[in-house]
Amino acid sequence: MQIIACYSNKGGVGKTATAVNLAFAYAASGRRTLLCDLDPQGASGFYFRVKPSEKLTEARFFEDADRFAQAIRGSDYDDLDILPANMGFRDFDLFLSRMKNSQSRLKKTLKAVRSDYDVVVLDCPPNISMLSENVFHAADAVVVPVIPTTLSQRTFEQLLEFFGDAGLSKERIHAFFSMVQSIKSLHGEIIAEMTGAHSERFMRATIPFASEIERMGLARAPVLATAPNSRAGRAYRSLFAEIDGRTKP
Amino acid sequence: MTRGETCYLPAARLADLTGREVHGLKPVLEWAEGSRPFAIRDCFDQSLRASRSLLLEDGSRLELISGSGRVLSQPATPQARFVAEFSEGPVKAALAHLSPLRALLPVASGIARSGLLALVDDEGKTRARAGLRELQAANGITVILVTPQGLRGYDGALHDLVAHIRDCGGTPLAAGNLYRMIDPAGTGYDAKPKIEVGREETAFDAANDLIDGYLPVIRANEQGIIADLDTEFLHDYRVSLRKIRSVLSLFKGVYAPEQTLELKARFSALMAPTGPLRDLDVYLLEQQGFRDLVPERMQAGLDRMFALLRDRRTAEQQRLAAHLRSKAYQKEIKALAKLFAKRRKLLPGPNASRASFDLACELIWKRYRRIRRIAAELTARTPQDEVHELRIECKKLRYLMEFFGPVFAQDDLRSILKPLKSLQDSLGLFNDYAVQQAWLEAFAEGLDDRPHQLEIAQSVGALVIVLHQKQEAERERIVAAFARFNSDKMQRIIRKLFHDGKGA
Repeated sequence: MQIIACYSNKGGVGKTATAVNLAFAYAASGRRTLLCDLDPQGASGFYFRVKPSEKLTEARFFEDADRFAQAIRGSDYDDLDILPANMGFRDFDLFLSRMKNSQSRLKKTLKAVRSDYDVVVLDCPPNISMLSENVFHAADAVVVPVIPTTLSQRTFEQLLEFFGDAGLSKERIHAFFSMVQSIKSLHGEIIAEMTGAHSERFMRATIPFASEIERMGLARAPVLATAPNSRAGRAYRSLFAEIDGRTKP
Repeated sequence: MTRGETCYLPAARLADLTGREVHGLKPVLEWAEGSRPFAIRDCFDQSLRASRSLLLEDGSRLELISGSGRVLSQPATPQARFVAEFSEGPVKAALAHLSPLRALLPVASGIARSGLLALVDDEGKTRARAGLRELQAANGITVILVTPQGLRGYDGALHDLVAHIRDCGGTPLAAGNLYRMIDPAGTGYDAKPKIEVGREETAFDAANDLIDGYLPVIRANEQGIIADLDTEFLHDYRVSLRKIRSVLSLFKGVYAPEQTLELKARFSALMAPTGPLRDLDVYLLEQQGFRDLVPERMQAGLDRMFALLRDRRTAEQQRLAAHLRSKAYQKEIKALAKLFAKRRKLLPGPNASRASFDLACELIWKRYRRIRRIAAELTARTPQDEVHELRIECKKLRYLMEFFGPVFAQDDLRSILKPLKSLQDSLGLFNDYAVQQAWLEAFAEGLDDRPHQLEIAQSVGALVIVLHQKQEAERERIVAAFARFNSDKMQRIIRKLFHDGKGA
């Protein structure tokens, strides 16, 4: 079972849209896929019209494999299931801090469903926390959307630094430029600069700033399901192909 | 995704299925664009119908839906009619139990389309769904196949959907008979109808019941022979005819002597035109077996022979089909059917009013003693004709036991029939080898002047030598098989059953 985390330590970068479309693409490629929403805002679940999992408290999430499995819901698409989040997930950090081996709890939790899925896509909350450390330990790949702005440049450096300090392999970081507006010259400059500085970490595929992606909130379905051949749809397909190629076990 | 049991329902109930909310969930039906041809297939003997499985050729896929709800699927093989002709796959493997000689014929065919029925909640989320397949048969009947599909975490909705499908007339394949709905005109076929003969029933009535019971089997096979669907139609036709002729010859004195003669002649006349085609069928079915018996360099000659036989078969099949379609044949078979259905014109003979049980005991006992007499003198040097006579006597004994089977104790009867069958198998093989040698030699001699005559004659010569060896080997098995049939225990059972336990 492959674990792919969509993560950014900065909010509003198109992380959930990426998680939702990647999960859809994995399932469409015939792999049994679970999209696990770790973000208490529950946006991933919302996009798939799945109601929040009221019964899954943080204690049950990490300690009760049966409850965890029971909270999973089938999406409307073949081979794609969702673990919806709820507001209780915001207490994950507090809970984890009290546990032993607090960095590997998430990995242990996901083991409960390893025979059910080929791929788990994690949609992570935007911060560096105990939970994100768990994510970094569990994930085979950490997919990081980066908006080509100076602020994002700074947060990406922070992430690399964190990986270095924690002794985590930076190889697992697969970054890409998100919400790219080709009309803005600054975007182009930052893309060139960051790609030059971290050529191994950045993928070639980029996701444009596109109205189809914004409209996902209205359509409540992945772009790849509603507009697979739109510019955004094609971009997500390229992104998926590249990630899949870089993370083949 | 969990799959529920596949159900079927008449198309008229589709409106109920999609027309009302199910526990607050809205049913939404969407048909996929496009349609494709479908065919439901079964053997003429309805093997699949009897096992409640459905062999469905749907577009380019071949599916086998078993009564238990298991669905097997593989690519369809266009034009394939016999199981052996299907491409390898799970469906073919699951059909291995079917007779390799029976064609899989379309029971119903027409146009199919697919749809998806979803139960949707107030967020627009699907909670459960069902795959729909609409089978619109050419006979005007439309049936919907419904396969519920559960989504993880929504077990309640799946449960409600299954109940809803049942409420709307959905019947699980295992519990009902889809064939009856889509093919109401299809009648059952039984090559071996159960004909009840009562202990006290008169021999006259028993003979009439038997002949009246086998005549419909003859008629049921006519169309399949005419259309040349598979070789079993002619085989079943001939077996039934042979049984009728056995009743006439074995139930001595049941009909008036002149009428017995007349009936024998009439049924014999029905059998006669079927012989040449059946012979050719038998040799052609044996093609691979014969090839395996001769050295490789002789096989080409046999292949040429089989090519000639296939040409002859085509001509013979057309001849027999024309005969069966002829007014004269149709008139005769209908007249015979009427004769044994109405029975007013049947004339009772001296044994007509005897109880079937008494007559059966007498006839069986007489045959049995004759068999023992012939078999007692059986050695390695016994002439072929005497072995042949033993075979005929055993066959008559077997027919008598089967005709009157219902009036005797079943366990005892079964214990006799088993060694009798294996004796008959050996006698049959011995006879087949003898007949085949003669037939093949006559065939080769008849080939004067044809190209490849010499090549064919040499191959046939090689084959005849092997068949002769096999015939001699079979002779020893006959002696052993008879010893088993003639054991003290068998003698006791036969005496108890058919001779009131009295000594010979």
